[in-house]
Amino acid sequence: MASMGMPDANFLWGVFQRVDKDRSGVISDGELQQALSNGTWTPFNPATVRSILSMFDRENKGGVNFNEFTGVWKYISDWQNVFRTYDRDNSGMIDKHELKQALTGFGYRLSDQFYDLLIQKFDRQRRGQVAFDDFIQCCVVLQKWTDVFRRYDTDQDGWIQVSYEQYLSMVFSVV
Amino acid sequence: MAASYPYGQGYPGTAGQPPGAPQGGYPGGQYGGLPTGAPYSGPAPGGPYGPPSNGGAYGHPSSGPPGSMYGGGPAPGGPYGQPSTNPYGAPQSGPYGAGGPGAGAVPHGVDPEAFSWFQSVDCDHSGYISIKELRQALVNSNWSAFNDETCLMMMNMFDKSRSGRIDLYGFSALWCFIQQWRNLFQQYDRDQSGSINYNELHQALSQMGYNLSPQFSQLLLSRYSQKATNPGIQLDRFIQICTLLQTMTEAFREKDTSMTGNARINYEDFLMMSATRML
Repeated sequence: MASMGMPDANFLWGVFQRVDKDRSGVISDGELQQALSNGTWTPFNPATVRSILSMFDRENKGGVNFNEFTGVWKYISDWQNVFRTYDRDNSGMIDKHELKQALTGFGYRLSDQFYDLLIQKFDRQRRGQVAFDDFIQCCVVLQKWTDVFRRYDTDQDGWIQVSYEQYLSMVFSVV
Repeated sequence: MAASYPYGQGYPGTAGQPPGAPQGGYPGGQYGGLPTGAPYSGPAPGGPYGPPSNGGAYGHPSSGPPGSMYGGGPAPGGPYGQPSTNPYGAPQSGPYGAGGPGAGAVPHGVDPEAFSWFQSVDCDHSGYISIKELRQALVNSNWSAFNDETCLMMMNMFDKSRSGRIDLYGFSALWCFIQQWRNLFQQYDRDQSGSINYNELHQALSQMGYNLSPQFSQLLLSRYSQKATNPGIQLDRFIQICTLLQTMTEAFREKDTSMTGNARINYEDFLMMSATRML
């Protein structure tokens, strides 16, 4: 996908029609997954596809219409730009150091130990590095868990005091 | 002091912002993915806590849900690392032990029923069950397919080699796991409607030893029930809910060292204990 600004609507409409294989007017997760590339010849992370679609699928219809697809396009392009910034050697993968730079740039303050864990969890190809799709997923997951923590961290000191049930409610609001 | 703030991405004005979700943020926890990863390794579908401890904030399992994940399998050492019975010796042969005592023989340590089911689920006869094959094989009592999250969650639990597919031994354990939950599900589905309604859910959780408010059961129901005039939880969601509850209860319990039902948790610990268990 192009990394420049938003292409015009005609172009996107053409893309939409090609991706919408069954011509239902809605792009499903399977259709989107087939259309996306993570640059490594492996299938695009299905969890990432679902995460993205659920963000833009307004009516919970299991996919996105053309209007929503333009948002999906922009979202993925934006991530692509971010990814390229940190993938200095253009390998299509970012290592722990690059991941740390990226997330630190977003404002996260996390320990080295935690970055090891992130790599371990999101490195689907077991290469000690994170591909584009897994990078998005990593950031999305981190953001969701951070958001829910922040909601409870009312004095913003980085600590929360929660009861068992509050904790479970936090978890179930994210998963 | 923004600099010392332990987290916080996307503040207005910061240089690097991650691409934003659409306005309004994430709709109602629609996040679909339990990405690949392993650590749903807790004892499932056992009770939320091992040894019964009277009182405390959590209670304990009173009705004794089925034993551990691999409890049903007659291979106490786990399905892996048994060279003598390992059917993978010859790289080109499937796990049926071609050349052995006849194809169709049930390998040692595999439940016979699981074995025959494995053969019908393994559509492409690869000797492994992919997530796609698993999804096609599992149905709820209303004939709806198991949802993706539950399938992915179970894959992650039983795909010990993290290869994205389950071998016969993992499948046999998975089969027992599902059977145990199915039995419990039927037991808690008191009116035998095929789904678990609010009262049944609340009762089930409390019988499993969870001390949770009616509001929490309501939250689960609204989050996981099928959209219908009569909201109810299907088997797939029941398995998902109970497994998550177990995992997360364990996580919380580790932090609640004084067993008061409250815990003080910092940001990174929170991520460690929660997010990483989900992957």
